[in-house]
Amino acid sequence: MGSSHSVFSEQELNDYQDLTYFTKKEILHVFKRYKDLYEDSADENTKKTSSLNKDKILKLPELKVNPFSDRIVKVFSSSGDGNMTFEDFLDMMSVFSDGAPKNVKVEYAFRIYDFDEDDMISDQDLKEVVDRLTGEQKLSKDEMQQLIDNILEEADLDDDDSLSFAEFEHVISKAPDFINSFRIRL
Amino acid sequence: MSRDPRGDPSWRRQDEAVEMSQINPGYLDDSIGRDPNHQVINMDGRIPLDRRYSDEGTGSGHSWARYGSARDAAELISELPSRQLDRLVSDTGKSIRARRKSQKTALHGSLRGFPHTHRPTNDLTNSMARNEELMDELDGDIRTNEVLRGMSSHHLTDKRQIKHDVSEKRKERTLSRKKHHEKLGTWKHMKYRVGMTWIHFKNNLKEFGYSLELWKSLMKKVEGHFGTGVTSYFLFLKWIFLLNIPVFILTFGFVVLPQILFRYNQPATTVTNSTNTNATSYHVSFSGEELLTGGGWFNDTELYYGYYTNLKVAVPLSNSIKYDMNISKSYKKNYVEGSSTTSFYNVTRVLCGWDYNITSKQASDLKHKSFYNEMKEYLAGKGKKTKEKELSDSCKWFFIRVLTNLIVLGMIGGAGYLIYYILDKNLSESDVHIIGELTMPLVISSIHLVFPFIFARIGSLENYEKPKHELYIGMFRTMLLKGALLGILVSYWFRRLPGSVYCWETKVGNELYRLVLIDFIFILGATFFLEFIHKVMANYCCTEKLKEPEFDIGRNTLDLIYSQALCWFGTFYSPLLSVMMIVKLFILFYVKVVSCLQNCRPSSKAWRASRTHTIFLGFLFFFFLLTTVAVAVSIITIKTNVGTYYMRIVMVGHKEMVTLLRHQLTMEGKDKAYLLRKLQKVRSKKKEKLVQLGQGPGRILSGTAGLREPPEQGGKRIFTRKLAETASASMENLAANGNGTPRSRRHQKK
Repeated sequence: MGSSHSVFSEQELNDYQDLTYFTKKEILHVFKRYKDLYEDSADENTKKTSSLNKDKILKLPELKVNPFSDRIVKVFSSSGDGNMTFEDFLDMMSVFSDGAPKNVKVEYAFRIYDFDEDDMISDQDLKEVVDRLTGEQKLSKDEMQQLIDNILEEADLDDDDSLSFAEFEHVISKAPDFINSFRIRL
Repeated sequence: MSRDPRGDPSWRRQDEAVEMSQINPGYLDDSIGRDPNHQVINMDGRIPLDRRYSDEGTGSGHSWARYGSARDAAELISELPSRQLDRLVSDTGKSIRARRKSQKTALHGSLRGFPHTHRPTNDLTNSMARNEELMDELDGDIRTNEVLRGMSSHHLTDKRQIKHDVSEKRKERTLSRKKHHEKLGTWKHMKYRVGMTWIHFKNNLKEFGYSLELWKSLMKKVEGHFGTGVTSYFLFLKWIFLLNIPVFILTFGFVVLPQILFRYNQPATTVTNSTNTNATSYHVSFSGEELLTGGGWFNDTELYYGYYTNLKVAVPLSNSIKYDMNISKSYKKNYVEGSSTTSFYNVTRVLCGWDYNITSKQASDLKHKSFYNEMKEYLAGKGKKTKEKELSDSCKWFFIRVLTNLIVLGMIGGAGYLIYYILDKNLSESDVHIIGELTMPLVISSIHLVFPFIFARIGSLENYEKPKHELYIGMFRTMLLKGALLGILVSYWFRRLPGSVYCWETKVGNELYRLVLIDFIFILGATFFLEFIHKVMANYCCTEKLKEPEFDIGRNTLDLIYSQALCWFGTFYSPLLSVMMIVKLFILFYVKVVSCLQNCRPSSKAWRASRTHTIFLGFLFFFFLLTTVAVAVSIITIKTNVGTYYMRIVMVGHKEMVTLLRHQLTMEGKDKAYLLRKLQKVRSKKKEKLVQLGQGPGRILSGTAGLREPPEQGGKRIFTRKLAETASASMENLAANGNGTPRSRRHQKK
């Protein structure tokens, strides 16, 4: 831990502490996990500034089994292609941590589930979500359609066959288990 | 119903305004936000239909991308009544934080946008620079941080950039302000300083908490393998563990410590010469039996209430404060959030369906499977939902349920009577001393072990529609059983004991100690048999019929609650019980974690962690209230030997007095004897001298003539003093008259 501390200047650590939901110690811990993903012996400063390839990030145990891992990585990647710098990684872990308030998590959850990135969760997006959730077995076409219809019936209030952020937030805020499940601890 | 008009598709075509109340009240349509000039709600609360579908359809041309519209929508959303409730729920009540939160949401509204197309940072920097609050010299930095932290539209790198730019602008502002000799009030400075120290304190506390996070790695392992449900049990255990620590500290500080100090300050005589059986006797043999029965040696130590004076209200008070905070927070959160009028079952299952905590492949496969099965079941079942239940069917089930409930009540009643019978029979009649005393706890613990399974079986026979209901009913019945047995015990103790036994609090403490101990042993045993043996059997002998056990969250949590209730009740009578509880919980944690990881497989059923958590907290609270009430009743109605301690002190004091006086008397006696001897010597010497010197006995007589006078005042002391004076006077005379030798002899004698 001590060596990692010298990689970051005091200013940087303060900034990170102010702008994320982590304490300084936690930030250093996150950096340690990030470094371990590199699998090579580049020095720490390089690791701090350079961008890590998407494939390597997806090897993180917490993300490996997650069916939405590629979306998560894409949303938080500043270059938009899934490669993450340390700051992106830190941002991601901060949002998934216990300290992040619910509204922040809801916003990011919306972005993750919005596969076509049009700011609405359309029925295509929902189909994709369900597909990923069922794993190897798939629901039949009729069943899928019925499920989507049920969802839209419950949540879609302006009848445009897709969920806007307001509708999404309205539903998800009522779900007590959301905060517990939308969390990754490093 | 509110959704009726919308179910009919033809309705959409009608050129009719929509009643706001028919839509979910409090929901604002997107289209309203799109036109900043449009009034939110018309006078009569209707939205003209043409407005509603103006931007229908295409995604990319969506006006969400426009900065202004997103801002308005977000702002309006934050003003909704339902959001106020949200804020109320999440508010901790601290005024600074409350103020900040309201400001934050307002700021959020005005600055937040969430198109994730990468907007240049200058835009945001400029708009933030225009905001007075963020430009505030003192607080502005903190506020900017909070706003930036919550923004999802930018990445961290950009946020840092913005933060620096904004602080540059702020510095310029401050400089220009200083140039114009504007000064900020000292009040503002003070508030700022207070705020900063508070933030620093919080940060330090978080750092500290992070570094000594108890059991972190183990819990993470469990979480990764089993998900949130099982983790909630371990979190609960940890919480109770932490709850007991301040209790222990308080009891130790206020009660045990003074007692120990007092004991060490006592004069040595009372300890060693004591013949009183109630005083500390370190000589009673400390055998294993006594460890088990808690009697004997323990009786005389700090373990029992008999030693303590005042009621330490501090203990239950601190408990209840900490506890109330937690339960009200959790209850509000779950009640408010859970009680929506419409059911969002499908959306919640799908959109909150994945547990991000899972890290193991096995758990994730299981999760996929369970999701798939659940969806399949639900969709298949939905078709049948509309089938009307026949009257005879529901009648039959109603009667069955009444019958099962009666059976359950009967079982509980029977168990209660059994316990009462055992207590009444006065357990110490058996041959082996230990078994006699342990009968009651053994029977109680066995009942607690066996009955819940029977209840679960009965519950499955009752054919509830939702498994959730079955679970809740089972838990309720188990709690009823535990509560009833405890109640019977308590009422028996309070009614029968005070009259019969001298120090009945000690007896109660005794009993509770045994209960807690046996309870612990049974839990360990149950873990061993139910999980380990089950797994061994599943793997090696009955591989087809038995699968590996699942971790039974409900049963385990209820056991925890019961143990804690016992501990609370017992702390009053035997304060060190909280130490026992801490040790017990510590050991239990490791045992359970190891057993869970080694023996159990993840459950395929979903466990609604937060809702059940509220229920468990509710149970705990209920038991806590019950124990407090019971203890209060005991204090008020029974003539407790509160004075035991006082009596003991008084007794001890009296003894000491007596010893002291006796000592004094003997000393006085010795004084008298000494002086008399002295006098005799003097007389005999004088006689010799007179005989030697040929002087008559008259002189000596005259020397001692004063002695013949009856003492006028004073009595014994003055008498002895006079005696001493005359003796020394005559000795001096002798010395003056005599030669060296008698003097030397005199000296020797002296």
